[in-house]
Amino acid sequence: MNCFVKLQGLTKRYEGVTALDNVNLEVKRSEILTVIGPNGSGKTTLLRMMAFLDKPTAGEIYFDDAEINDNNRNHMRTKCTMVFQKTALFDTTVYNNIAYGLRLRKRSKREIEERIREILGLVRLEGYEKRQTKKLSGGEQQRISLARALTLNTELLLLDEPTANLDPKNASIIEEAIARVNREYNTTIVTTTHNMFQAENITEKVALLLRGKIAEIGTASEIFGKASKNLASFARLENVFSGIARIREDGTSLIEVGDAVQIEAALKKSGKVTVLVRPEDIIVSRKAVNSSARNIFEGKIVGISDMGSTVKLNVDVGKPFVAQITKRSFSEMRLNLNSKVFLTFKASSVYIV
Amino acid sequence: MERKIWIWTTTLVLVVITSVAGTAYYIATSTGEKLVISTTTSLYDTLLLDVIEDQFEAEYPIDLYFISVGTGLAIKHAQKGDADMILVHDPSRERAFLENGHGVCRKIIAYNFFAIVGPEADPAEINGLSPPQALIEIVEAGRNGQAKWVSRGDDSGTHTKEKGLWNDAGLNRTELREEEWYIEAGAGMGTTLQIAEQFSAYTLADMGTYLKYYKDNIITLKELVTQGEELLNVYSGVAVNKSMHPNVNFDEAISFIEFLISERGQQIIEDYGKDIYGRSLFYPAVGLLKENAERATVQWIRNYAFFDGYECPPEYQNDHPELYS
Amino acid sequence: MWELLEGVRRIIELFGNPVVLETTFRSIYVSGTATLLSALLGIPLGVLIGFKDFTGKHFVKAIFNALLGIPTVALGLILYLVFSHSGFLGFLDLLYTPIVIMFGQAILITPIMISLVVHAVESVDPDVRDLARTLGASETEASIAVLRESTAGVALAFVSCFNRAIAELGVAIAVGGNIRGLTRVLTTTIALEVMRGEIEYSIAMAAMLLLIVFAVTLAINLIQRRRP
Repeated sequence: MNCFVKLQGLTKRYEGVTALDNVNLEVKRSEILTVIGPNGSGKTTLLRMMAFLDKPTAGEIYFDDAEINDNNRNHMRTKCTMVFQKTALFDTTVYNNIAYGLRLRKRSKREIEERIREILGLVRLEGYEKRQTKKLSGGEQQRISLARALTLNTELLLLDEPTANLDPKNASIIEEAIARVNREYNTTIVTTTHNMFQAENITEKVALLLRGKIAEIGTASEIFGKASKNLASFARLENVFSGIARIREDGTSLIEVGDAVQIEAALKKSGKVTVLVRPEDIIVSRKAVNSSARNIFEGKIVGISDMGSTVKLNVDVGKPFVAQITKRSFSEMRLNLNSKVFLTFKASSVYIV
Repeated sequence: MERKIWIWTTTLVLVVITSVAGTAYYIATSTGEKLVISTTTSLYDTLLLDVIEDQFEAEYPIDLYFISVGTGLAIKHAQKGDADMILVHDPSRERAFLENGHGVCRKIIAYNFFAIVGPEADPAEINGLSPPQALIEIVEAGRNGQAKWVSRGDDSGTHTKEKGLWNDAGLNRTELREEEWYIEAGAGMGTTLQIAEQFSAYTLADMGTYLKYYKDNIITLKELVTQGEELLNVYSGVAVNKSMHPNVNFDEAISFIEFLISERGQQIIEDYGKDIYGRSLFYPAVGLLKENAERATVQWIRNYAFFDGYECPPEYQNDHPELYS
Repeated sequence: MWELLEGVRRIIELFGNPVVLETTFRSIYVSGTATLLSALLGIPLGVLIGFKDFTGKHFVKAIFNALLGIPTVALGLILYLVFSHSGFLGFLDLLYTPIVIMFGQAILITPIMISLVVHAVESVDPDVRDLARTLGASETEASIAVLRESTAGVALAFVSCFNRAIAELGVAIAVGGNIRGLTRVLTTTIALEVMRGEIEYSIAMAAMLLLIVFAVTLAINLIQRRRP
C-alpha cells in the first residue's frame, strides 16, 4: 500500500458542533499535503486526529496500514508529532524544551546534545541552548517549537499554520527547514494554512476543507487553476490565469494566458503554470504610466463594486482583471463604467499557484 | 533548570530538618512533670509569676505553665479540667469552685489593696474619701459632665470587686452602666488603665498593675482613694479536685502551693517590686494569718476571704491538713 | 527626633535578646511545620481537583474559597473546645502545647493551600498537556509536565500559607495559652506585651514578624525571577 495515512469516514463532533464530517483522505509516504480552508473549517481538528491527540466520533484512521484504536493510540503518538498554531513552550530553557521528547525516548545525553546543536543550526538559532524560551521573540519561539518537533525525526510531521503571523524572514527559515526535512528524511508532512502566496511553493498536494468536509483535493495547479466556486468563496482569489510560461534570458518568465495577454513574472518557470495577481497590487491610471513595472495593459472598466473604503473595478484588458483602489482615488480620477484605464503591476506581484 | 531543582530541594530539606529538630527538642524537654496554673492578668502582668516560676523550677523538677486570663475564664478552664490549679483573687467564686466539687485545698497566698485612681486634677474631688463616698461623688460629677468612670467590664476579680463597691455605696450599677460617663472597657487591667488615662477618667485598679504602669510612665493617673476595708484584695490558690478531673497533676499542684506558702515563697512575694517601685506590690498573707495578730488587716481578711470562718473548710482539705496547721 | 532614633536603636538591640530570638524560632518552627502538614494534604488534593473535571467541582471549589476567610478566633475557639480535657480529643493531652497550635494552624491554612494549588494547576496553559502528549508523553508523563509548569504557583501557595500561619493570632492564643517558654509565639507576645504597655518590646517583635514575612516572600520571588 502506498498510502501512509488514511482517513476513512472520519467524523468528529464535540459540544454539539460537527467539526469533521465524513472525511476521506489519503496521504502518501513522504508526501507534503497542505490543507487550506477558512477559520473554523476544521483544519486544526483534522490535524489533531492525525496526531492521535483526540479520538474520532466515527470513522477510522489507518497509519501505515494499522488501524488506530484505544490500545495503540498512545504508542502511535511517538511516531508523529504536531506543531501547534499557538506556540506552546515549557517554561524553561531552549535546551530543555527541545530535549523533552528526546528524553522521553531515552536517548543518551551526548546524543541529545548533538541533536539539539544540529537542529538549532537548521532553524538558525545556534547557541540558544541556555536561553529562557519565554524571553524570546515570537518568531524565535515558533522556530524553537519547530525545532523541538523536527528533532524527533518522526515519520509524520503535522504543522498547524506554521508561518502565520511571521515576518517573511522567519517564515522562509521555517519553510526551508520543513523542505529540507522532507528531502533528507522522507518525512511525510501535513500542514494547514491560509496563505497561498508563497514564493517557493513546497506543497505537492492541496486539500480544501470547508465546514468539516473535504471540498476538493488535488495538486496545487489543479485546485487553483479550476478557480472553482468553493475556492473562490473561501479564498476570494482574483486574477487567476492558466497559461504557458517561457523563461527569458534575464531570469524572468513570460506567461501567455490567452487572448493576446502576456504576463511577465519575476520567476523562473516554464511549461504549464497557473498565476495570480492580487487586486491591491494593481495600479489603475487614466494614462499610461512610465514606471519600472513590467506589466502594462490597456482596458475598459466593465464593473464597479463599492467595498466601503475601497472600490473594486472589473477591467477587461482582453482577459478580465480585478483591481482595487481607494474610494478617494476613484472619485478624484472620476472613473465610470466604460472609462478607459491602464492597469500596471510589477513582475514581482505575479504569484505562481 | 537543574539549579532551580537544587535550590528547591535544599530549602525543603532545611524546612523538614527544622520541623523535625523542633519537634524532637520539644518532646525531649516535655518529659518532666508539668503543672498548668490558670491565673489572672492582674497577677500575671506584674511579672511576679515569672520570678516565682524561675525560682520554683530551679528547685523542683516541675514545669510551670501559666495561663493568664480573666478570673472568670481561669475558673472555667479549671472546671473543664484544662488547669491543674487556679491562682485568683475572687473569694466568692473561689467558694463556689470549692462547693461545686471542682476545687480542693484552698490557701490564701497574698494580699494587697485596690485603689480608686484618677486624673491629678480630681474634678470629682474624691481624694481621701471612703470608697462609697467617692463613688457617689463620681456619679454626680459624671452626670455634670466633669468626670468619667472606666469599668473593667470583663469577667475578672477586679470587676467583681468593683461591682461589690457599687453595691456598698447603695448604687445600682446596672442602671449607671447606661449613662454616658460610664465606660465599659471589656479588657484587662493594663488596657483599662490606658483607657482611663486617655479619657482622664477614674477607675478601680489593683496596686500591682497600677504601680507598674505608673512607673513606666504609661499613665499619669494618681491614687486617690486607698484606704478602706472595701479595697482589700486577696489572692488564693486552689487545686483542682482529682476525683472530678482524674487527669490533673494534683501532687504537683500541692507542691506548688506548699512552695508559695513556704517562708521562701512568701519572702519572694514580699520582696517583689521593692527595688523597682520602692514598695512591695504584694504582701505575704500566710505569716500574718498564722500569728493571728489583732491587726485590722487580719480581721478584714477573715471577713472578706474566709468561708464560714475557714480559709478552707475541712471537707475540702483533701487529706492535706498540714497545709492548715 | 533624637528620641525616635533612640527608640529605633533600642528596638534593634532587642533583636539580639535571647527571648526574642527564642520566640522567633518558635514561631518559625510552629508555623513552618503547620505549613508542611498542610502541604502534605493540600498539594495532592489541590492537584487532583485541579486536574480532574467532575460534577460538583464548582461547588467544591466554592467551599474551599469560602473557608479561606475563617476568622481565626472562631477556629481557635472551636479547637479549644475540642482539645480541652472535657472535649472529645481531650484525652490526647495536647492543649497548651506547640503541637496543637501546629494542627490548628494547619487546619486554618489548608483551604488556602488547596485553593491556591488548584488555581496554579488550572492556570497552566492548557496546551501544555497536548504538547507533552504530541512529543510522545504517556498520560502520566503529560501530567508530570503540567505539574512542572505549575511549580511557581505551588511555591507561591506554600509561602502564602506560611505567612498566613505565622501572622495569625486567634488560634495560637486560644489553644496555646501563650505560655512563656512553651507556646508563646511572635503574635501572641505582641498581643500580650501591648496590653502590658511594653510598646518598644512589642514593636521589636512586630518588626521581627514583618521581617520574616518579607524575607520569605522575597526569597520566593527571587527564585522565581525567571518568569517574565
